[in-house]
This record gives sequence, structure tokens and C-alpha cells, in this order.
Amino acid sequence: MADVSVKKGLTKGLIKLTVLLGIGFIFLFVLGRLLPAPSEDGYRVFPVIGSRVWVWIIAQLHLNFAAFVLGVPIFAVSMEYLSWRRSDGRLDRIAYDFTKLFTLAYTITASIGTILLISLPVLYPKFMDHMMRILGPTWWLYIVVMYVEVMVCYYYYYSWHKMKNNKGAHVAIGGLLNIMGVIMLLITSSWVGYMTTPGGVSETGELISRWHAIKTHMWIPLSIHRLVANVVFGAGIAASYAAYRFIVSETDEDRAYYDWMGYTSAMISIGFSLILPGVGYLLGVEIYSFNEQMGIQLMGGFFAWLWVMQAILIGAILMFVNYYLWISLNKMPGGERYFKYVKYLFIVMLLGYAVWLTPHSIALSLDEARKMGTYHPVLGNLGVMAAKNTAVVITYLVTFLSFAIFKMSNKEPVVSWAKLGNALRIIIVAGSTVAVLAIGVYSYMVSSSVRVKVLSPIQFGVFFLSIIALFILDAKMFKNAKIIGAPRWGKMPERSQYALIGITVTFTWLMGMMGYMRSGGRQYWHVYGIIKDTSPDAFLPTHGFAAVVTSILTVIFFALMGLLFYGIMKLEKKGGQGGAKA
Amino acid sequence: MKGGAIKLFIVVVGINIFFAYIGLYFLPQSQSLPPKTIKVEKGITQDELVTLGETIIFSKGQCMVCHPMKQETGMRAPAIATIGAEIVKSAKERNMTPEAYVFEALVNPGEYVQKGFENMMPPVHKPPTSLTEGELIAVAAFLQSKGANVTVSYPESIPVLQEQIKIEAKKGGK
Repeated sequence: MADVSVKKGLTKGLIKLTVLLGIGFIFLFVLGRLLPAPSEDGYRVFPVIGSRVWVWIIAQLHLNFAAFVLGVPIFAVSMEYLSWRRSDGRLDRIAYDFTKLFTLAYTITASIGTILLISLPVLYPKFMDHMMRILGPTWWLYIVVMYVEVMVCYYYYYSWHKMKNNKGAHVAIGGLLNIMGVIMLLITSSWVGYMTTPGGVSETGELISRWHAIKTHMWIPLSIHRLVANVVFGAGIAASYAAYRFIVSETDEDRAYYDWMGYTSAMISIGFSLILPGVGYLLGVEIYSFNEQMGIQLMGGFFAWLWVMQAILIGAILMFVNYYLWISLNKMPGGERYFKYVKYLFIVMLLGYAVWLTPHSIALSLDEARKMGTYHPVLGNLGVMAAKNTAVVITYLVTFLSFAIFKMSNKEPVVSWAKLGNALRIIIVAGSTVAVLAIGVYSYMVSSSVRVKVLSPIQFGVFFLSIIALFILDAKMFKNAKIIGAPRWGKMPERSQYALIGITVTFTWLMGMMGYMRSGGRQYWHVYGIIKDTSPDAFLPTHGFAAVVTSILTVIFFALMGLLFYGIMKLEKKGGQGGAKA
Repeated sequence: MKGGAIKLFIVVVGINIFFAYIGLYFLPQSQSLPPKTIKVEKGITQDELVTLGETIIFSKGQCMVCHPMKQETGMRAPAIATIGAEIVKSAKERNMTPEAYVFEALVNPGEYVQKGFENMMPPVHKPPTSLTEGELIAVAAFLQSKGANVTVSYPESIPVLQEQIKIEAKKGGK
């Protein structure tokens, strides 16, 4: 991707996409004729690892890359907008770096998408026939939007330097790119939504209303959840890229820049992740309203222990984040004043983590439930939503406090009401903690309906109100504050960068596992209640097996990402900054 | 910082091995197999129906996802241990036979919901549960056996069951 003109760049993009699609269709045609006919109930078997594991790995890899190329443009454009309004060269550089990353990642995304395009109809012809019959037109729309999106993406990237004096128009092109990305997301979410919470068809799977087959219970909440998760994930990958570049940097200047990039990306990632429990809740509500049984199966049936795994993963992410922020105090002149608080924050994090990890129903099978009862007599009290929500909110509050401490650690307020401000901060933190705990205790005394529909949202509401209040208060209190010293960007131990990598690897693993759970929620159905899975893979594997597959695909994903990062560095060395021609 | 990329790769692989290890050795290992249709033969005794019904509620029926065996705090649905007696009581209140009532509870559960619970049960003769007529009668026999006399039998109870299925179909239930 050494210096290329806009026209050449667009032609390159167009050719790449058309060649990949062409390969996909040719393979479909050839394999359809060369391979033996599918079994009577409509399956072919992938050699050695079986069709399910093959599609599982390819689909999740495609999803990871798609999440990246849809998520990163959102904040790349936001950064470009800020750089334009503030005339800040550093923001422009980070926006360009992000753009370079996702433009190159498009090729890998499309290549894996092509493998998926070949795999699904070849291995699951009957199921794909049904999907095409019900949602076929959305697939053709998907191809059209994909072309437009790739063209806009390439234009956005290759016109970067050419349009440097017309930033407004360039930012608008970035906006269009994001609109295309959201449309792609809506289309693909409609497919998953139909498979999990089908609508618009008769009990035998005949199409009644295509619009209702698109507009299923899951469609919008899943799309919102994915959109937010994509930003979290995309920013996380950008943080990993920065960490990688920091570690291999040879100059202090580069280390300073990549330290700042890593910090900015990680904070965007974590900031957006705060919204995820809320949108996840909306998704859960829709699944329950479609089918209570599916909701309960997902939350407490076979998958109960995977929620414990989820708690381990999110807890690990928050631990990595807090660790990174605590180390970061070292680079802030004045940061040492706050070292003494770190141990208390750590203790609260550990306690919250322990409660969060406690499983609700430890019975693995219905047989076990018959023998020992549904809940554990002691731990069951900590494993319920009342305790878990409280623990989650408190750990998030601690994480926000770590962030707030880091942000203000090199400043001293000069406003006359600084003492009152500090008192207010203590009142907000203590008050919200007491309120969250009190609601948690009260949650034990009400029906599940009140707990889920009223008290849980109030708990999260208290958390959000308190962080908003702290945010506003700090902004006022530290306005024109005395700066003890500028952050010493780049003066970070190498281990801090491994924490950044740890956040992203864990989040990727979490995405893989939650994707498996969402898919597994259908149990032995391709389309829940409509098209039964009668293949040899129509069972849910052990949690260990699922964990191994998730680890393998996460390692493959990071190996590909590593190649991408390496490729960017190579190109930079070859052609200066590389990329778009001025 | 030569070797940084290798170190990073080791960290990535290490974290993934750690998570796979937790999945393999800290989580319980069991598969969830798709249910098999149980064939109910003509002339099956009521005792055999009860035994078969118990197997179904713990497997294909997935009843235990919501119904606990004994009374528990915060239970989502009525406990199984005393449900036979509850069936007799509620059927009397609604001027129905226990047989019709227990079938209504299975195939048209939204029609009458026990006080203190929410309308959340799906009709179990429809997908995804898809219990057959024989399986439904076996489940009804097991439920009745929990605190009351078993009055259902196979195939004699089929007309009563079909009547309830017809009512549900007319209602256009989900």
C-alpha cells in the first residue's frame, strides 16, 4: 500500500472484491458438481474436524474481522473530526493510523467471508436453501452495500492527504462509510435474528411476511449490542496495535506516540464497554419475550457455567484495565500521591470479582437438579442476580475511580470551592456505593419480575448517574487547574503494554464464547422451532471443547492480526508513511 | 526491543491456553444431546406412564428448567412435588375435570396461570419442545401422581387432550 492515487486505490478495491466474489461463486459451482450429493437430510461432512467446527472457526474469524472493520471507522472518523476542529496533528495521525489498519483489514475480512460463502451452501445446502428462500433479497442487498462500503472505504483512505485542505468533506465521507457499516450490520444481524427468534414464517417454515422475518425480536437489540461491541473491540485492537508498536519502537518519540495511542484506544474501548451490560440486558429481554424457555436455558440451563466463565473474563478485563491505570500513575507527575489508594481499590475489586464468579445453579444437568435441587444451599445466595448485579456495578465503579484518579493525578484544582468539591466527590462515591448495596439487599425480597425489570435498571442507573456527576464535577473543578507536570508519555514499563494486549485477547475470547452461547441457545435447531438440525453435530459439546475451539480461533485471529501489523510496518519502511498519495 | 513480537505472541498464546485450561478443568464437562421421541405403546399401565412421564420432564420436556422439584424461594414456576394436589384444587375451582385441566396446563398454559406466577410457559406440544400425544399423557400422569390419583391413560385420554389442543389452536396461541 505504498503511495497510491485515489483512482488507482479505488480500482484496486473494486478488483479485489470482484475477484474474491468470483472465486466464491466459481468454487460453489465447481464443488457443487465435484462433491458427492449431500445426505438425505441435507448435509455434507467437512473432513477431519467436521462441518460444525469448520464453520464455527471461519464464521467467528469473519465476525471478528468484520467487527474490527465496522468498529474502528467509528472512532477513526471521530478522531479526524476532532483533529479538524482542534487543528491537532496528533489526532489526525491516530485517525490515519486507524484508517490504515481497517483498510488493510478489509482484504482479510473479505477473504475469510469468501471461505464462509463457499462453506455454508456446500456443507449445509438444505438449511441455506431455506435461508435464501426466506431472506434471499437481503443477501443481494448485502452484496450491493458491501461494494459501496468498500469503495467508500478505499476513497476515504486514499484521499486522506489529497483532501487535507478539505477536511469537512473528508469527514463527511467517513460518516458515509459508517452509515454503510451500520447497514451491513443490520443486514447480517437480521439473519442471526431470524435463526434464533424466527418470525414471518408458518410453523412449517413457509414464508408469510419477509419483513417480519427480518424484523424479529432479536434484530434491533442484537444490532445495537454488536455496534457497541464492535467499537469496544475495534478500539481494543487499535490498543493492541499501539502496544505492539510501543514494544518494537526504537525511538522515544515513537514510544511516546504509541503509549498515547494505546491509552486513548484502551479508554475508548473501556468507555464504550460500560454501555454493553445495558444493551445486553435489552437483548436478553427480547429473547425472554420471544421464548421464556430459551431465555432461561441461556441464562441458567446448560450454559449456567459459561456465565461464570463470562464473569472470569470480564473480571480479568477490568483487572487488566485497573492494573494498566495504576501503573500509568507512574508517568504522571504527582501520581505518587495516589499510590496509597491502589490497595483498597484492589481489595474491593477482588471481593466484587469473587461474588461475580459465584455460580447460581451449580447443577449441570437436569438429572443433577433432580438429585441436589436447583440451587446450592449456601453459595446460591451469592450466585443470584441480586448479588451479582451489585458486585458488577461496584467493580465498574472502582474501574471508573481508577480512571478518574489517573486523569486528575497530575493536577491540582485552583477553584475556591476545591474543598467542597472534594467532599462532594466523596459523597457521590460513598452515596452511590451505599445505594447500590441497599438496592442489592432489597432485591432479595422482591419477585424476579421486579428485580429484573425495576431494580436492576435502577442499580445501573445509579452507577451511570454517579459517573456522570463525577465527570461534570471534575470538569468544573479541574478547569484551569494547576498542572504539576505534563504526562511523561512513553515512560511506561513494557509490562503495561502486555496488560493492553491482555484486555484485547480476553475480549476477543469473550466475543467467541458469547457467540457460541448465542448460537448454542438454538440447541438442536438451525432455525429455532422451524428447521431442525439432524446432522451428527446436533448436540452442544462440553464446555471444555467449546473453550478449546474458542482459544484456537482466538490464536488464529491474533496471528492474522500480527501479520497485518507487520505488513503495515513493512510498508511504512518501504514508502515512508505509506498509503495514500498526497 | 528485539524479540518483542515473539514475547507478545507468547503472551497471546499463554492467555488462550489459560482460558482453555479453565474451560477444560474448572467447568463441568457434559454434552447436551437432542431429545429422542419416546414411543408410547397401546395398553401401557398408569404406573409405567408415570415412570415415563418422569423421564420426559427431566429430559425432552425440559420442565425442570423452570419448575423446581420442591418449594424454593424465588421459583419461577410451581414446584412439582405437590402439583398433583394443586391440579385437583384448581380444576375444581374452574369446574373442569383434573384430566382436562392438566392437559390445558400443558398445551394451553396461558389460559390459566397460578396466582403468584407469570405467564411464561410455552405450549409444549409445539416446537421447540414438540411432545407427542403419548408423551403428553405420560407427563400428565406423572404430574397427577404428585399428590393425587392418576386419572389419565393411554390411548383413552387422547380425545380429551385433542380437545384442549383444538381450543389452543382456535385461540391462535404462540
